[in-house]
Amino acid sequence: MRKEPINQISPKGLKVWRLYGVMQSAIVLLLMIVAGVLSWWLEGPWWIVIILILFQLLYTYLFVYLFPKLRWLRWRYEVREQEIELQHGIFIVKRTLVPMVRVQHVDTQQGPILRKYDLASITISTAATNHTIPALITGEADELRSRISTLARVAEDDV
Amino acid sequence: MSKERYQLHPIAAVVNFIKGLKDLIFPFIIIFVANGFQGGSASPGHWTSYIPYIIGTVILAFVLISGIIKWKRFVYWFNEDELCIEYGLFVKKKRYIPFERIQSLNYTEGLLHRPFKLVKITIETAGSGASTEAEAELIAITRDAAKQIETEIASAQKRKSLKTSDIAAIDEHTVEEQIKSIPIFRMTMKDLLILATTSGGIGVVLSGLVVFLTQFSELIPYEQIYDEVVVFLKFGFFLVVITIFAFVLVGWIISVILTTLNYYQFTIVQEEDQIVLTRGLLEKKKVTIPISRVQGIRIIESPFRQMFGYCTVIVESAGGSMEDQDKKIRLFPLIKKKKIKEPLNKLFSDFDFEPKWTTAPKNAKPFYYRLDFLWVIPVMVGVSYFYYPYGLLSMLLIPIILLLGLWQHGAAGLALTRNQLSIRYRGINKYTFFIEKKRMQSLEMKQSPFQKRKALASIETTIKSGILGATVKVEHLKEEDIEAVMTWYEPIKITTEKGHPE
Repeated sequence: MRKEPINQISPKGLKVWRLYGVMQSAIVLLLMIVAGVLSWWLEGPWWIVIILILFQLLYTYLFVYLFPKLRWLRWRYEVREQEIELQHGIFIVKRTLVPMVRVQHVDTQQGPILRKYDLASITISTAATNHTIPALITGEADELRSRISTLARVAEDDV
Repeated sequence: MSKERYQLHPIAAVVNFIKGLKDLIFPFIIIFVANGFQGGSASPGHWTSYIPYIIGTVILAFVLISGIIKWKRFVYWFNEDELCIEYGLFVKKKRYIPFERIQSLNYTEGLLHRPFKLVKITIETAGSGASTEAEAELIAITRDAAKQIETEIASAQKRKSLKTSDIAAIDEHTVEEQIKSIPIFRMTMKDLLILATTSGGIGVVLSGLVVFLTQFSELIPYEQIYDEVVVFLKFGFFLVVITIFAFVLVGWIISVILTTLNYYQFTIVQEEDQIVLTRGLLEKKKVTIPISRVQGIRIIESPFRQMFGYCTVIVESAGGSMEDQDKKIRLFPLIKKKKIKEPLNKLFSDFDFEPKWTTAPKNAKPFYYRLDFLWVIPVMVGVSYFYYPYGLLSMLLIPIILLLGLWQHGAAGLALTRNQLSIRYRGINKYTFFIEKKRMQSLEMKQSPFQKRKALASIETTIKSGILGATVKVEHLKEEDIEAVMTWYEPIKITTEKGHPE
């Protein structure tokens, strides 16, 4: 078995994902209410409402509780001298290797919600792919970004 | 230093004009069809009925004049170490392309170019993908002028290497004498026929014919035909077969013609460190691919071609512009799989085209068809229920999916050599990729819980292709084999022993 990358992302990232989940399920709730009202108005059978409620509960459970938790537990990253290794995925575990030599540039981004929690995400671009580490403390992210960019400049082709 | 400014050949104006017309064909058709309907209501002879013609003439004149202006305003010249282009009427645009950035010159000879011994040149630069407009096009210049550009580039590059070191100068001397071109591959007429017959194009042509016929179905007096069809059917099965045969024959002939137009005299020649590809009957194309830009080699075997032992070889090359679809270059559009090794080895000596394959383990078999059953079984049950008894025929899907799955299982594999990863997999076609380690942009291992239970995993890697990436993936191999690839890909720490670049 390969060793897991050592660094986890910020616990605040979990909070942000939960928040995203709450927003999504609020939208779903709206749709469900519309559907429920329609069903009542058109005198549809009562069990439709039950299904709608169950669906809403399940959706909220998955997207507010379970998925963010699994996702957060899974997310690992490690920036080594010669390569970057990422691990993520809720159901399917994906482990990505990006050699420093291939890194072309590194960006950090920060949306309004991330900013509120003092978080930022890092995107590492190669000539053909993009890899994002989702939620790091802003200071950490900036530091990591400059570290990757120095390492990428130093890295030499071994072939 | 020649500061003289050169113009394109006047034929460029005509080419511009025709290109403008081509872009206009669609709107033109719409306008005229729309007017065709109105024409009935307007009284003939009234001046309004001429409006479409007037508009048409004005547009034509406009396109013609703009074509001429484009030609008139387009000049190019050589600076010390760059090619300069200037064009535009109101907004003058200048583009300077340093010679060293020029990757290759691609030649196209259209029908209009031929009689005047002209070529269209597309200049490909090593744009790192940031700018989509990194290349230039000289629409029509004489072959001599093209030669001149080539020599300018060559001499500029020579000057540069002269500056850098004296050893290079000696090398230049020997190289200068003659650029050696080694023929690698050419397609015979027989290959062309097989290519046309086995290409998907034939299906496209056939369906095109059907669409064409259905489009005109309104014009066809069906009732009358229906009676005839009854008679026709009485004549028997024989005639039906003949008609179908005729259809296929027409489709085949069209497919052959199209293929011949595109691939006539398809040849691959190696010139120094470039691959030069020439093809085409009416429009001759010459494309050069610097070997150093090749990112990976892909072999495709469609089931039909595989039966006869044929395959297609494609090279993925980096750089180029957005609109250029030719980045996936068919190196050998059709070649016997057995004969593939020799020409490929000549071109790419660093590659190993017959590596030792590690294939998928036996316990991975169900993974190749299991997921498909998830959607097939509900569909089958539904169809069988609603269209009983014929719906039961959908049961045939089961053996088909099983067989395809097993076939895919048999094809899946990977191979590691020191600097190269080879990946083989099958969708319906069988793909074999050869990728150098230094071309792989990233590597990703994937594992679902089901795979984990059976100690399996999948792997995918991305290489640069055009300005985007191409992803290569093989699924359900042994976990340990996949992990071996991950470890192989991890860069080894190079200590100072390799030291400084020479």
